[in-house]
Amino acid sequence: MKYPRLISEGSVWIVATIPSIWAGHFLLCYWVAAVWCAKFSGTVPASLTTPRWIIAALTALSLGAIAFLAYRALHSYGGTFSVENEINQNTSHDRKRFLGHVSLLLAALSAIAICFTAAPALVFARCW
Amino acid sequence: MSWTDDLAPPAPYDKARDEAQRSRLLDVWREPTGWRRFSAVNNSIVGRWYLLTSFAFFVFAGVLALLMRSQLAVPENDLLSMDFYNQAFTMHGTVMMFLFAVPIFEAVAIMVLPEILGARDLPFPRLSAFGYWCFLIGGVFVCGSIFFDAAPDGGWFMYPPLSSDPKQTGIGTDIWLLGLSFIEVASIAAAIELIIGVLKCRPPGMRLNLMPLYCWYVLVVGGMILFAFPPLIAGDLLLEMERAFGWVFFDVDKGGDPLLWQHLFWIFGHPEVYIIFLPSIALIATILPTFARHPMVGHSLVVLSAVGIAFLSFGLWVHHMFTTGLPNISLSFFSAASEAVAIPTGVQIFCFLATLMLGRFVPSIPMLFASGALAIFVFGGLTGVMVALVPFDWQAHDSYFIVAHLHYTLIGGMLFPLLAGIYYWYPFATSKMLSDRLGKWAFWLMFGGFNTAFLPMHWTGILGMPRRVWTYSLEDGWGLLNMVSTAGAFIMAAGFAVLAWDVLRPKGKQPLAARNPWNAGTMEWSGEVPDMPWGIRSIPVISTRYPLWQQDGLLGQVDRGEWFLPDAKEGKRELMVTDILDARPMFVQRVPGPTYKTLLCALLLGGVFIFATYHWWVPTALSGIGFVAALIWWLWTGTGLIPEKDSKDCSRGLHLPLYASGSRAVGWWAMFIMMIGDMTAFFGLVFAYMFFWTVHESFPPVGTVPPDALYLLLGLALCLGAWALVNTACVWNRNGRREAARTLLLIAPIVGLTGVAAMGWACLASDLNPTRHAYDATCWVLILWLAGHIAAGALMLPYCAARSWAGHLTPFHDADLRNVTLYWHFMAVTALITYLLLGIFPLVSGGTA
Amino acid sequence: MCLPGCSGRHYWFSGASEEAQSIETLAWILFAGAGVIWLIVMALAFFAMRSSGRSNTEKSARRMILWGGFAFPTVVLAALLGTGLLTLKSIVAERSDLTLEVEGEQWWWRVGYPGGVVTANEVRLPRGRTAEILLTADDVIHSFWAPALGGKIDMIPGRENRLTLTPTTVGNWGGLCAEYCGGAHAQMRFNVIVMEPDAFDAWLEDEAAPAQPESGPGLEAFLGEGCGACHTIRGTEAQGLVGPDLTHFGARTSLGAGILALDRDTLRHWITHTDTLKPGVKMPAYPDIPTEELEDMIDYLLSLT
Repeated sequence: MKYPRLISEGSVWIVATIPSIWAGHFLLCYWVAAVWCAKFSGTVPASLTTPRWIIAALTALSLGAIAFLAYRALHSYGGTFSVENEINQNTSHDRKRFLGHVSLLLAALSAIAICFTAAPALVFARCW
Repeated sequence: MSWTDDLAPPAPYDKARDEAQRSRLLDVWREPTGWRRFSAVNNSIVGRWYLLTSFAFFVFAGVLALLMRSQLAVPENDLLSMDFYNQAFTMHGTVMMFLFAVPIFEAVAIMVLPEILGARDLPFPRLSAFGYWCFLIGGVFVCGSIFFDAAPDGGWFMYPPLSSDPKQTGIGTDIWLLGLSFIEVASIAAAIELIIGVLKCRPPGMRLNLMPLYCWYVLVVGGMILFAFPPLIAGDLLLEMERAFGWVFFDVDKGGDPLLWQHLFWIFGHPEVYIIFLPSIALIATILPTFARHPMVGHSLVVLSAVGIAFLSFGLWVHHMFTTGLPNISLSFFSAASEAVAIPTGVQIFCFLATLMLGRFVPSIPMLFASGALAIFVFGGLTGVMVALVPFDWQAHDSYFIVAHLHYTLIGGMLFPLLAGIYYWYPFATSKMLSDRLGKWAFWLMFGGFNTAFLPMHWTGILGMPRRVWTYSLEDGWGLLNMVSTAGAFIMAAGFAVLAWDVLRPKGKQPLAARNPWNAGTMEWSGEVPDMPWGIRSIPVISTRYPLWQQDGLLGQVDRGEWFLPDAKEGKRELMVTDILDARPMFVQRVPGPTYKTLLCALLLGGVFIFATYHWWVPTALSGIGFVAALIWWLWTGTGLIPEKDSKDCSRGLHLPLYASGSRAVGWWAMFIMMIGDMTAFFGLVFAYMFFWTVHESFPPVGTVPPDALYLLLGLALCLGAWALVNTACVWNRNGRREAARTLLLIAPIVGLTGVAAMGWACLASDLNPTRHAYDATCWVLILWLAGHIAAGALMLPYCAARSWAGHLTPFHDADLRNVTLYWHFMAVTALITYLLLGIFPLVSGGTA
Repeated sequence: MCLPGCSGRHYWFSGASEEAQSIETLAWILFAGAGVIWLIVMALAFFAMRSSGRSNTEKSARRMILWGGFAFPTVVLAALLGTGLLTLKSIVAERSDLTLEVEGEQWWWRVGYPGGVVTANEVRLPRGRTAEILLTADDVIHSFWAPALGGKIDMIPGRENRLTLTPTTVGNWGGLCAEYCGGAHAQMRFNVIVMEPDAFDAWLEDEAAPAQPESGPGLEAFLGEGCGACHTIRGTEAQGLVGPDLTHFGARTSLGAGILALDRDTLRHWITHTDTLKPGVKMPAYPDIPTEELEDMIDYLLSLT
């Protein structure tokens, strides 16, 4: 019996990768701000100008990566964004489509969460 | 074109054959009786023990809560002493979280998951039994302490310096740290088992898009446990090292920082909330379609929200630390994630509502509890959105508002769904129904009591009452509200008593329940009445999400033994293992039956933790040696066994191998998943290093010499050398060079141990003293971690060599060696990261700011 | 909005400072929004169960998930996040008119003002001026919380945290330790007394002066019992730093870290049976002080205004 390959044929990776981009973006934003404020802020309120630019760049990069993966989910895995139908046919094609579809939904959620994460950088200009 | 097209039609029904098969299956799966019952390992028995034990701990913690509520009923009460009250609230939180909420997920999953998957057991039944015994021993140890006035009293969050200073907190803290670490081992064991259960033990044909929602949740929660619990184990290790040996991690005078613990604790602690919440939502997601008589609407959206919540929940931990004075921008990232996590939660709830709208709603006791859960949980979720905003939290944090909020989320999000599940699956577990009348009483008493107790607490918090106070004065004006809350708590307890009576009352005369009393669509209801120990008569091909609704005649086919593995000719307990994506049959896995070895191992491991609590080092060491010996005995006699033939006929013309090694085998996946968890704990230590680097001007501190570069490099080279030797041994063994492979397996441990010794020497040579500064202690703890792991890895290699000599490991049957090789891959990574942190990082960071 | 019987000293919505008022506005927005959303969800659930299977198309149900479960929360949460962030920014003042240092101890508060004035368990603030309160601790973690004036910030060994408050209402407000700090955590209280700025300046000037009187039988009893090893009374030989500074003890509004009224009988009980009033307190009880000496000591302490 032949088994589909988990990574290359399975599209399982894309499901985990998309929210992982959110996680990476989140941790990097936190880390950049934390290190900046702990290491480089003196007794005067430290300006956050540099971290804010870094966070902006990270955000653009992450959203770009998510858009790329969403594109892959759409085209390579036949995902659709529509939730009008259940993808419940007993075929490998539908299994693939299902994972592509979940990936697309996760892409939307992750993109929103990334924008949320970036919001504090718009508001705060100082470490405290 | 699918593999099922090639299956032969079922043989015509033959009563004699059916009975013969049934009696053989019964022989194989029969559970031990009398005293031998303690050797049982089957999921339905272990699951039941788990469930009852968790509820016993729940009752214990609930009684503590009632005592606390009695103390707070009136101002300046002297019912409880200050010391007892502090122990009581610490234990209430600890027991509810660690001994009830998480284990109950495992209990339910161990009981229900295999049946939902149409499987006869989980892939590692003895591991579940071992996990259960660890849980029981650890739990009794932790709870028992309160009867000796020695219970932990540092709060369930155990913040240092209160908890790290033996002068401030006594033996209770050690009991907490070691007892819970022991229990966490059990939780991780269960998580591994459940993940593999979902991934590899699905019935043939159950593709990922057909997988029931319950399984998705179990998979997601198992994964979360794997990433959430290990940081706490790392934290426990650091805190206990500071308490027992004075290693510096939290003492600010020597470069430690109490906030490190808060980070490690809440990196565990917040995902923990969702680890508790998601499995209960999984119950609702399973129960609700049954009573809506309609498949879940937005199945994929529910999967999305489970996965989404799992990820986002790891970005919330600092919202428990909003008042610690971190920079506002840092707090706000966590505020943002805490708001974002409400989106998938909302999606989930709306999927439930949409399902109810489209279906034909059938009122029932489980749905009564589910509706109560919805009302309570949505309320708790909305207050959660409030406290996720930093300014609001600055008021609410550590006040009774939070007490109210967290009980609304946990009781609405976890307890009520769980009770719905108890009513729902009671007939599944016992073949008897619970009483509708008593169910209504229980629900309304609990629902009314709960809201009476906790709704006023929001206002108590707004009136400024802080948490964890054993007394308050009349002038504070909190008396009336507290009195109401106390009354509510007792009403709620009465409701629970009604439920307990209903569950435990003798039902000998009551008729058996119908086979699928709720008319559900999922496979767990395919069991016969009365229940048979084999679980499912034959393992069918699944082609729909709700097989009992959507696959006509399935039950009859299963009962007549028309599907796979209808027999146990060889007298072995057998499961079918399938592939992760499309659940095509891969091989037949034989699982072991009853044994006392798991109990023995749990007792000995328990001895290690319990004796260490009291610093009785000799018994600790003896227990440790005994544990390793017993473990080897267990593994030697129960795992990696070579079958008497290569493949077997599973009926319908399906022939499957009886052996698998490498990434096809479930054992390999267990090792892989366990090591992911292990690496997470290691990253907890790495985080500690990086955290110290962030908070210190100079780390290593000025005047400290980092570990000797040359010895470190030598150590790394040797560790990687050992890894290379193991890999070579694996390849040679596969190519038939068994003798040479054995030799390598005996050389590799020496090389590896020498390597880690060289790294240790590098620290000694630089005069690093773990009681002097956090830098020294962090370096040493990394070395200690690596040494422990290399030592464990070193034990595995002679084991494989011995298996090879004894003929249990051959070029084809090499699962043991493949799994050990996988372990060593992770060792190589661990050694490399340790080297980079100790050897290279100080050069790059320059040790200066 | 305070319930009957409530003194309101710890009430979040007392509006006693600009910060508390900002949080209150945010809170009422949240409460109102949450109430409406809860009612909508409950109504939907009720409707869903009632109308089950009737006149609902699959399409509309699925659209409800997308709009109600996804789009609506996203918009509302984004708006709330923005409001929360801006509120946070607005309640942390950059500049201040006055800097205090408050250190948490097990289980009381050491309060320092500019010019070396040290007092205990009482934080006096001038109305209308922004006070910056620097928060530290040495033993375990505590948390400084005066609910009527705003949020809490933790006091963590090894760190110095900062809280800014701008009081708007004169009065005696309650304060408490919000982080569990072991044993008598429940009895770690303080008072925040908001004064008119002129009165505050005068008070601070008085507080800076040494003790009056600087001698007498009461002081001798105090020193004779060894109290000076832990307590400071500026202007006398008592220079201990372990316990609260007692230089102007008689002028305080409470005893035992905000938990007891300051009067003769309570003070007597406190000195002779300290740990029955506050279990685990560091100060030893002095049950055997001769009555006359005790009364002298009490006279003296109450005279320290």
